[in-house]
Amino acid sequence: MSILTPEQKVIQRSAREFVAKEIIPIAAQCDRSGEFHPQVLEAARESRIFAMAVPRDLGGLDYDALTQALVLEEWGYGCAGVGTTLAASVLSMDSVLVAGNDEQKKMFFGAMVDGAIGSFGLTEPNAGSDAGNGKATAVKVEDGYVLNGSKCWITNGGYADVFVIYALTDPAAGARGLSAFVVEKGTPGFTIGTVDHKLGIRSSNTVELLFKDVKLPLTALLGKEGEGMKIAMKTLDMARPAIAALSVGLAQRALDVCVQHLQEAHPDPKIQPGQTLQFKLADMRIQIEAARQLLHHTMNLRDAGVPYSTESAMAKTCCSDMAMKVTTQAVQVMGAWGYTHEPAKLMRDAKIMQIYEGTNQIQRLVISRAVLPPPRPAQPTQKGGN
Amino acid sequence: MSILLTEEQQLIGQSARDFAKEYLEPIAVELDHTASYPAALVKNLAAHDFLGLFLPGEFGGAEAGFVSMAQVIENLSRASAGVASILVNHSLAAYALQRWGTPAQKQAFLPALASGETLGAFAAFEHGPRPGVGPQALQATHLPEGWVLSGTKAFVRNAGAAQVYVVLAGTDPAAGGKAVAAFIVKADAVGLTVGEPLETMGLRGCPVADLDFEHVVLTDAALLGDLKDGQAITAETFALASVAEAAQTLGIAQAAVEHAAAYAKTRIQFGRPIASLQAIQTLLAETATDCHLGRLGLLQAADLIDRGEPFRVEAAMLKQFLARVGSRLLVDTVQVEGGFGYSEFMPLPRLFRDIAGTTLLEAPADFPDATIAASLLA
Repeated sequence: MSILTPEQKVIQRSAREFVAKEIIPIAAQCDRSGEFHPQVLEAARESRIFAMAVPRDLGGLDYDALTQALVLEEWGYGCAGVGTTLAASVLSMDSVLVAGNDEQKKMFFGAMVDGAIGSFGLTEPNAGSDAGNGKATAVKVEDGYVLNGSKCWITNGGYADVFVIYALTDPAAGARGLSAFVVEKGTPGFTIGTVDHKLGIRSSNTVELLFKDVKLPLTALLGKEGEGMKIAMKTLDMARPAIAALSVGLAQRALDVCVQHLQEAHPDPKIQPGQTLQFKLADMRIQIEAARQLLHHTMNLRDAGVPYSTESAMAKTCCSDMAMKVTTQAVQVMGAWGYTHEPAKLMRDAKIMQIYEGTNQIQRLVISRAVLPPPRPAQPTQKGGN
Repeated sequence: MSILLTEEQQLIGQSARDFAKEYLEPIAVELDHTASYPAALVKNLAAHDFLGLFLPGEFGGAEAGFVSMAQVIENLSRASAGVASILVNHSLAAYALQRWGTPAQKQAFLPALASGETLGAFAAFEHGPRPGVGPQALQATHLPEGWVLSGTKAFVRNAGAAQVYVVLAGTDPAAGGKAVAAFIVKADAVGLTVGEPLETMGLRGCPVADLDFEHVVLTDAALLGDLKDGQAITAETFALASVAEAAQTLGIAQAAVEHAAAYAKTRIQFGRPIASLQAIQTLLAETATDCHLGRLGLLQAADLIDRGEPFRVEAAMLKQFLARVGSRLLVDTVQVEGGFGYSEFMPLPRLFRDIAGTTLLEAPADFPDATIAASLLA
C-alpha cells in the first residue's frame, strides 16, 4: 500500500463503499446482458464523482492525480466495465482541461457537475494506433464548422451529453490538420450508429458516432486549428494512468476472488493448498503491488508538476500487462471453478486494458524513444579548440 | 512435421479438417451463442468414426491410435473447440473403460460408445479440492445391497447429454482423498440427477453441470478396475486429458495465428500493412514458435500412448508448458488485431474464451508439477 494523506484515505474508503454497494452487486448481471448501467450513474450523481477531475472553482471535486487513481482503482475492482465509463468520462474532460477556454470549461464541466458524462472521439476504423489517419472533416464556414464522418469504438457514446470530437480542418495536412471540438448531444446531424459487443468490459457502452453536416459554432473549437494531435496526445498522457488504475483494481479483485474461493473450498485446516498454489498467489500479490507502486509514483510526479509522459506510458503498459497475467493465472489456478465464475469475466475484461487508450505496442514506442533517442544530426566540427 | 506422421494419420487429420470445414465452421458462431448441445452433429461425428477412433476394432472402434486422435481433436478445435470438448470428454470415459474394464464391462459399453449410440462422460471434479474431499464429496460405501454413491460431482462435461458416466468417488472419508475408486454409472440410475447447466466462458455447446447422487445403488459390476486402481485411473486419465487438451489448445491457437497473420497483411496503419512492423512480426513469431514446440510435445506424448509406454510425465510437461503459454497465444493474437480483435463480431474473442478453458479444465492446477517432480525424485 502507498502512504496516503488522511484526505486520500477518506476518499478511498468512500469509493470502496460506493463500489461495494452500487457496482459489485450488478457487475455479473451487466456483464451477462452486455447492457449499460444508468442506475450507477444515478447513484454516483450525488457524490459528483464524475466531476472528480473538475477544478473546484467550477464546482468540481478537484482531486489530485493520485486521488483520481485511487478512485479508479476501486471502480476497476468493482467492475472494469463500469470503471471504464468513469475513466472515459474523465478522458473527455482532460482534453478540455488541456485546451479549453473559460467558456468551454464552464459548459463542459458544468454538465459534469450536474451529473452528465462525457465521451472522447478520436478513433476511426482506419485510424487506431495511427490516430492521425482519420477521415472525419470539419470544414470551416463563415460562422462555424461543418462536421462530417464517423468515429468508432467510442466509449460512453450512447449515454454522454458532451463530447470531444477530433476532425480534420485541413485534410491535405494529415495529422497536422487535425483539430478538436466540443460537441453536444442532440446537435442536428449527430447520431449514434452500431453498438459493439465485446469480449469484456461488456457493460461499458461502445458505439459508432455518425456526423452528417453537423453545424458547430466557432466557439466549439478547442485550442487552435491544427492543434488536435497535440491536444489528443497530452490528453492521453493524462488519461493513460486511468487504465493503469483500472488494471490494478481488476487484478486485485482477481486475487481476492481466488483467496475467498480457496477459503471456502478448503474449510479443513488439515487439507490446505500446497506450495505450488500458494506461491502462485504470492506471485500475483508481488506483481499487483509492483505495478500499483509504479502507478502511484507516476501520479505523484504529475501532482508535483514534473514531466511524467514516459512514466505514464510505462504505468499503463506495466499495469495492463500485469492485469492480463494475474487474471489468466486466476482462471488457471482456480481450474473449472475459475472458468465458470468471476475469474473468467476478469480475464476477458483485462484484455482491453492492453488495447485501448493506445495499445501497449504504441506505449512501448513512446517508452523506447525515451530509452534510445534517435541520434542527433552530426554537428559541423569546430576548427581549433580541443 | 509431416515426416512424423504416417500416411494414415495424415489422411485422418485431413478428414477431420474437411469435416470441420463442412460441418463445424457453418455452425460454430451460432453454437457459441446458444450453447445448446448439438445432438445431430455428435451423431455425425460418430458416422465419421471419430467417437471410437482409438477403440479396438473388436468393439467397433477404428483402432487408429492417439496420434490420429490428436490430429482429429486439433482440426476440429480449429473450427469449434466446444464440439471438440464433447469428443474429448467422451473419449476420456471410453479410454478408462477400455483400459481398466473387465471383458464384460467392455462388451457392455464400448460398442455403443464407439458407434455413437451412447455418449460417455468422465466426472473427476468436485466442489472440494480433490475427489472425495469436502462436505459435498462423492462417497462410495460398500453395503449389503452393493455400492451406494452419495454426494456431488462438479463441472462435469457432457453432463445431461451422456448416457454413461465414469465417476471418481472417495471410498474412505478419513483418507483425505487418497482412497478413490472409479465407477461406471448409467445416466438413468435411480437417484442420479443432472444440475442446471453452468454458463461457461467458452467451449460452449459442450454442456457442463453438476451430477447429484442421492443414494445411487450400483452392483459390484459397476466398479471399474479394482479398489487399488483408483489412483492410477485418476492420474492416467488426467494425463490423457492433458494430451487431448493440448491438441485443442494448438488447434485454437493455429486458427488464431492464421487469422491474425491475414489481418496484419491487410490492416494499414502509418501508411503500410502492420505486418511490416517488427513489433507485430514478433508477436506472430513467438506464437508460432510456441505452437510448434507444443505440437512436437503433443505428438511425442500421443506416440507414447500408441506404443503402450508410460506417458504421464510427458503429458504433465505438455500441460505445464501450455498452461504457461496457452492463454498467452490468444492474448497476443488478439493484440495484433487491436480493437477489432476485441469485438465479438470478429472471430478471435471466441477463440480467446475457448483457449482459457483448454489450458486448465481436466486436471488440477498442481497436477503437472507434482507429476513431473515425482518422476525426478522417485
